[in-house]
Amino acid sequence: MLFDLYFVFRVLVFPGFTFLFFFTMFCDWVERKIEARMQNRMGPTFTGPGGILQPFADVVKLLTKEDIVPGGAKKTIFRIAPIISFSIIVFAISFLPIDGAAIIPNSSFAGDLIFIMALITIANFFLFLSGWASANPYSDIGASRLLTQFLGYDIPLVILALAPAFLAGSLTIASIAASQYLPFIILAPWAFVLFIVTLQAELEKDPFDIPHAESEVVGGLETEFCGGKLAFLRLTRDMQIVFGAALVVELFLGGPYGPVFFGFPAFWYFLWFVLKLLAVVVVTEYLTCLFARLRIDQVLTANWKVLLPLSVLSLTLTVAVATWVYPLVM
Amino acid sequence: MSQKETDILSVLQAKFKDTSVQVQPQQLGKVAVIADATTYRDVLKALLEADEKTAVIAITGIDLGATLGVFYHIRTSTAGIITIKVEVPQEEPRLKTISDLMPGAAFDEMEVTDLVGVVFEGHPSPGRLVLPDNWPDGVFPLRKDAKLDNLQFKPTPPSEPASPGNEDIVKIIIGPQHPALLEPEKFALKVEGEIVKDVQPRIGYVHRGIEKAAESRTYLQDVYLVERICGICNACHATCFVEAVEKILETEVPPRAKYIRTILLELNRLHSHLLTLGHAGLEIGFETLFQYFWRDREPIMDITEIISGNRVISSGMTVGGVRRDINEADIPKIKGMLTSLRKRLPFYKKVYEDEPSIKMRMKNVGTLKREDALKLCIVGPTARGSAVDIDVRKDEPYEAYGEIPFKLITYNEGDTWARMNVRMDEVEESINIIEYALDNLPTGPFRVRVPRVVPAGETVNRVEAPRGELFYYLKSNGTAYPERVKVRTPTFANIPAFLATAIGSNIADVPPNFVSLDPCFSCTDR
Repeated sequence: MLFDLYFVFRVLVFPGFTFLFFFTMFCDWVERKIEARMQNRMGPTFTGPGGILQPFADVVKLLTKEDIVPGGAKKTIFRIAPIISFSIIVFAISFLPIDGAAIIPNSSFAGDLIFIMALITIANFFLFLSGWASANPYSDIGASRLLTQFLGYDIPLVILALAPAFLAGSLTIASIAASQYLPFIILAPWAFVLFIVTLQAELEKDPFDIPHAESEVVGGLETEFCGGKLAFLRLTRDMQIVFGAALVVELFLGGPYGPVFFGFPAFWYFLWFVLKLLAVVVVTEYLTCLFARLRIDQVLTANWKVLLPLSVLSLTLTVAVATWVYPLVM
Repeated sequence: MSQKETDILSVLQAKFKDTSVQVQPQQLGKVAVIADATTYRDVLKALLEADEKTAVIAITGIDLGATLGVFYHIRTSTAGIITIKVEVPQEEPRLKTISDLMPGAAFDEMEVTDLVGVVFEGHPSPGRLVLPDNWPDGVFPLRKDAKLDNLQFKPTPPSEPASPGNEDIVKIIIGPQHPALLEPEKFALKVEGEIVKDVQPRIGYVHRGIEKAAESRTYLQDVYLVERICGICNACHATCFVEAVEKILETEVPPRAKYIRTILLELNRLHSHLLTLGHAGLEIGFETLFQYFWRDREPIMDITEIISGNRVISSGMTVGGVRRDINEADIPKIKGMLTSLRKRLPFYKKVYEDEPSIKMRMKNVGTLKREDALKLCIVGPTARGSAVDIDVRKDEPYEAYGEIPFKLITYNEGDTWARMNVRMDEVEESINIIEYALDNLPTGPFRVRVPRVVPAGETVNRVEAPRGELFYYLKSNGTAYPERVKVRTPTFANIPAFLATAIGSNIADVPPNFVSLDPCFSCTDR
């Protein structure tokens, strides 16, 4: 009985759903503030101190709006796709060690890195379906762009995620994170840089925010969505950013592990995790502000002709390092 | 009259010696050629042969009582504007199109058909341009006897499918409401995959009938009316109108007023160019660039406020001069603001010339060749980006431009990148012009008194607005109210450039290509 309560608390409150929800809001606020300051603007200021409650207010506002399903839409898919993709991302995050253990305790198994990469693929596919089901030319084009772009970067992303796995000698995220006495960003910086660039595409941020380029396709796949469903699509996007950043932390920045000064290790692990994650968010947001949006054909060319060969090269280099250099360092 | 002007006149006079064509050197303050329905095409052909830069500026339709006048205003690089006047009977208003000789005239002809009711035979795409689709047949707003009360509107025709029988072609509608357009216009793109196959333009969503409204207001009221045709190039519209009135009145404006007008005109150009350079960033998803440019645009509005009292619509012009003098104490402040803007320019220039993602999105996008630009009668920075060296400030200096040194910027590439870089360089030239004008500001009065009633006469006038050549035709009838005001705005002349370059391009290239024309639809619709 006691164990059950602990389990429920971890999944629903901390570090599970409630914490993730508010942390996502907080990351969204950090992003908006950084983007605004980089662009000579103020960013949100009105709701709460420094506008910190603005993302939360946005979600609440969307939830109170009228929910319309367009006449020509495939109604079932249109309704459930945003919720499913949101749930899948939250489910994927719960495999990542946040305070030294994953959200669902003892959920870690050999090969869960591959499993959560597959989950992300499925989540993206549901996003595509949500656009495809809305029977709108802008959504159609946005959804087909999402899928085209996604096919290009998914393979490099998985190959690049294998680099830390080789260094750690394991496909389990928990052991990859735990084995980084020296973070892999120092051992394999090339893989880290490529991973951040590919992640930028995975998160659909500039210069890869082609599926929802508002000057061309209005809202992209979000065009027909409103009310609660739009809130879920937005949350999915924000949660994806947190997930992507968390993945970088686990794979390259030593996961939640860091120096423990006093008291509970779980507290310090959690603190390190959050700080590292925010650092990654800052870096990706910085990149977003620096570039113009590319065109879909330019991105595809870059994915298949540049990113894929480079990621294979990076893997080769990493294997070489893991075989000969790593044993010398340790 | 200059030597070159005389040359082209003698060519025309020799060629049409034995026909009914009359060449009149001094009507309209410029050259006018009186032709009829059988000869006007020959005159146009003769002008086209004489000069490669010949282009149709505008076609004015006018109700002359018993007949309808169709005035073809032709630009030549040597002799300024030459107007070919043709009259057609009210009952049977038909003329042959000139769009086969000059494809850029097709839009102007459609407008004349809409507003005055002259039918152009052989027009490639006859149909409504500025009036709504449900406008009743046979009602032409610019005819003097038009009854505009109790209009019986037709039912709106249903929209046609993109391409019957071909499922691969999808119709993407850009506008009238679209995030990429700040103003309501419609472009129906037929796309196959991501490639644009066809573009159908539809303007007129904000047609306010300003040409008609101007006929029922006094000349002084009209200055403020035409200013509101466009928010950004308001001083250009006002200057073009008051210059036309001054030409008919034969008023000489004091030199100080000319310099103040020049300063206000260049502030317009700075405002417009900075706005577009930033907006282009937004269209290619470069929000940081957009925010930077729009922040640096603020001091320009502050300077306009210091000089005229208003931030955007300056209302600085009046017939006979300007309404407010520049306070000498403000000049150091203005120059300080301009200097701080000038310090930012090398950075922006580097961004627009060398930033890799901008080059990827703008190089070789919407390339308009020089000969196409000439044939389509393109004006302004769009033409100068395609190596066509036209600029009214140089070709036919007005206000103080004849006395101020500045460079004419042209680029040879003809793509979006070149058009934006023309604007980038012109920003610096504009700052130079304003600083020169402030340094050399003549002393003396800043306005002269003029009579309210304007003697009968007609004239044409043009100024270089930020977006290109702005053209006015003004006819007065000896009262305090004008008989006809015709406005041809630069965007109206530049839309064919977009139509020509969009077909065959990627959908993602449409917004940057389009914004590189700096489209202004409230100008286009009037």
